Order: sequence, then structure tokens, then C-alpha cells
Amino acid sequence: MKKFTNSIRIFFSGAVLSYKALFRWFRLEPYLATKVVAPLNQILFFSLLGSFATGRDTASFYAIGNAIQLTAMSGIYGVTMSIGGERNEGTLIYLFGTPANRLLTFVGRAFVHVLDGMLGVLMGLVWAGLLLGVDYSQADLSALALTVLVTTASTSGFGLLMGCVSLVTVNVMFINNTIYFLLLVFSGANVPLGNFPVWIQRAAHLLPLTRGIQAARQVIAGASVPQVWPLLIGELLIGAAYVSIGYLLFSWFEIEAKRRGTLEAF
Amino acid sequence: MTANLRVVRTAFELDIKHQAVDLFLIFGVVVQPLLIALMAIYMLLDRDPSRGIYVVVGSGMTGLWTSLLFRGTFSINAERYYGTLEGIVASPTSLGTVVIGKTLASVSVSLLSMIFSYGLASLIFRFPLRIAQPGLFLASLVFTVVAFISFGLLIAPLMAVNLSFSGWVNALEYPMYIMGGFLFPIFMLPNWSNPVSYLLAPYWAAKILHAASGPGAALPEILLSWGMMLLLGAVYVAISYQLFKIVLRRARVDATLGLM
Repeated sequence: MKKFTNSIRIFFSGAVLSYKALFRWFRLEPYLATKVVAPLNQILFFSLLGSFATGRDTASFYAIGNAIQLTAMSGIYGVTMSIGGERNEGTLIYLFGTPANRLLTFVGRAFVHVLDGMLGVLMGLVWAGLLLGVDYSQADLSALALTVLVTTASTSGFGLLMGCVSLVTVNVMFINNTIYFLLLVFSGANVPLGNFPVWIQRAAHLLPLTRGIQAARQVIAGASVPQVWPLLIGELLIGAAYVSIGYLLFSWFEIEAKRRGTLEAF
Repeated sequence: MTANLRVVRTAFELDIKHQAVDLFLIFGVVVQPLLIALMAIYMLLDRDPSRGIYVVVGSGMTGLWTSLLFRGTFSINAERYYGTLEGIVASPTSLGTVVIGKTLASVSVSLLSMIFSYGLASLIFRFPLRIAQPGLFLASLVFTVVAFISFGLLIAPLMAVNLSFSGWVNALEYPMYIMGGFLFPIFMLPNWSNPVSYLLAPYWAAKILHAASGPGAALPEILLSWGMMLLLGAVYVAISYQLFKIVLRRARVDATLGLM
């Protein structure tokens, strides 16, 4: 019982501390610029581009897609930097020196980012409603909240995997930026998946967000949870798969780094 | 004059070398514009394949702006970080001359965005791409480079005067894509925002490059766009001159040069 309590304590303290460490530079201005203004600009740009391409009545399609895609800001950048930061800040050796449960330690790095990501999506959806006239009158808000939670969690699962990649490369921001834009292109946020060749459509369904964005659009149009359940289950499974692969990599990295004495070497 | 040109050339060469190994820059100049072009191709060309050259020019402009914004923001601050700013300021050459060389390098490299986007649209997607008025397009590109360098000269000292401004850099990328009319015309925006676009040299650059590559441009439109780029460029340089004086004053009088 005590072991279980300790693990839970480590999960939450690790989650909060890694988030705090990431925002140690925290000042209101950069936070507002990154988490409030930049997302608004992204939604506006792609909604206007989409409206120009396909007509003003399609703005909702792009606004919702981009609002949900914003979760990648926390899920990809935030989670990756939380894991990679352990090595950059020299705390990885202490982390791997403790007997703490590795799975909880690993997954805990994403916990606060899931909450933060949900807040970011909420902000995006509010912007979409206020500025682009997205209509939520048909939406079941609890179903929408569930969709956002599942999508954010699955994207953070992908972030955990990328976090492991950040432990073996110094160019993680290049990878993160590329992943973020690949998600913008191929998750269906801006381009209907049907426009792509079949092989890209198949690959897109291996990404997080793809099903989540589809589910969010359907829920906002009036669908209920049972109607989007297959999409949400698929999104969860994709996220779980990425977490599993990430955890395997994390464990392998620990074993190899300890064996070779390369815990702090890139 | 010759000495200043030599400094510009040296700063240009050094900056090109920096950029060649800067993955963030490679992302901004190559990967991001290509992915934006890819997205725009699927979004815009579904209904009208003749918009291919519009996508190429527009996505190239996004690469130009992203590169200018990020390189400009960290142009002086990077020297501060490397510990070389004191040496530059103490030398007889003006800091502005060094920044001109660096900005010229980033603008020159970021022109590659347009070439990569052209390659993507023509080689991968096989879109018929034709620049309607190549001579006018090339001449307008020269004006664009001048206008962007002027803008870069404005950004660099502005971001160095107050370090908290650099925190806004991520939030400034898309507004120029929008207000500059890079990938859609500004008539998509509310009328009240149009005067802001008119004060941005990149807007006039995008306008004339789109016109020269697409349907063609009339002489008054050409002259207006070129004239506005020169006029606004002169205004940016005048403001940047004052900002450089503030930066140097803070460096020499307030002794805050190396402080991050």
C-alpha cells in the first residue's frame, strides 16, 4: 500500500515539478504571446486561407480543426521539452538513480500538459466562436469535453515518444517544429483527408489528432458520444500505442545509457 | 564606403555559414514553406489549378518573413549571447552596417523558399507554372529584397531595445502572413485593417510579385508598389537609425550591453 501511495505521490510531484521547470522563465508576456495570441493567429490564418479557397461558409471547418490541433502545442512541444529537459538540466542521472516507478515517472511528465493542452483548445474554441462564428448550439458540451480530453491525451502520448527521441538528439526543436506542421497538414485540420491520395489518408490515421478532429467536428454539429465512440476509441488506442513505444524507448535508453555511461552524452 | 562594404560582405559571409548549420533556419526557410505550400496546394488548387504560381509566390513570402522575423529578432541578441556584441560596438564600424550584412544574408537565403516551393509545385505536382512577366518579377524581387532588409533593420534594434519584445516573436509570424496578403488577398479582412497592410512593405512586395507572376500588372500598379516599398523602406531605416542610437546609448552610457 505504501509503495502504491509513494508511486502516486511521485507521479503528481514529478508532473507538477517538470511543468514548473519548463516554465521557469515564466513571465506573463511570453506566456500570453505563446499560449493566447499565437494560437489565435494560427486559427485566423488558416480559417481565412480556407475561406478564400472554398468559400466563407466553410470557415467553421478550419476554425474547429485548428482549435483542436492547438493541443499539439502542449502535447508535442511541452511534453517533449519536459522529458528532454531532464538531460539538458542534468537531472537525468538523479532520475535514473531513484527506485521510483519508471512508468509513472514517464507518463507523469505529460500530465500537466494534458490539462494545459485542454485549456489551450478551450481558448481556441472560444476564439473560433467569437471571431469566426462557429456555432456551438447543437453541441453536447460534455461530449466535446470528452473529445478534447481524449485527443489531448493521445497527442501527449505522441509527445512522450518524441520526448524519448529528444534524449538521443540535440535537434529536437527541428523535429518538433516539423512534427507540428506535419500534423497541421495531415491531421485533417486544414485539408479534408479525402483530398489526399489513399496512402496518405492511411498514414494520417496513424497520427494522433486525426480522429479527434473528426470527432470534434461531428460533436459540434450535434453528434452524441455513442456516435463518435469509434473515433474516440481509435484516438485513445493510437495514443496508447505511442505511449507504449515511448516507454519501451525510455526503458531501453536507461539500460543502454547506464551500460555505456552515456547518460549525459548526446 | 569601401570599408563599410567589406564589413557588409564579411557579416554576410559569416551569417551564411551560421545559417548553413542552423536547423531552425533550415526549418523556417525550407521545411515550413514547403509544408505551407503543400497545404495551400491541397486547399487552393482543388478548384483552380491555375493558382499554382500564386501558391509558390505566397508560400515563398512566408519563408522570407519567417526567416526575417526570427533572424532579425536574434540578430543583435545573438551577438550578445555569444559575447561578441561588445567587440562589434567597440569597433569603428557601426553596428547597423554589421546588421545590414546579416539581414542581407538571411533575406538572400530565404529567397530559396520560393525556389523550393516552385520545385514542389512543378516537379511533384506537375502544375503548369508560368511567370507572366519574368522581367517585372525579377525587378520586383530586387525591390522586395531592399524592402525586407529595411524591415530587418527595424526589427533588430527594436528587439534589442527591450528584450521582452522577443517573447512576442512567435506571435508575430502569422499576422504578417495575414496582413501581407501572402496567400489570400486582404479583401478577405475587415476594411478597417487595410490601412495597416498599406504600412507594411511586405504587403506591397506580395502584391506586385503576385501581379507580375499571375495576371500581369499595369504600370501605375507597378510604380505604386515599387514606390511604396522604397518609401516605407526609407521610413523603416530612419526609425531604425534612432533605435540603433538608443541601443548604443544603453550600451555605452548605461553599461547594459552584455546583459541578457
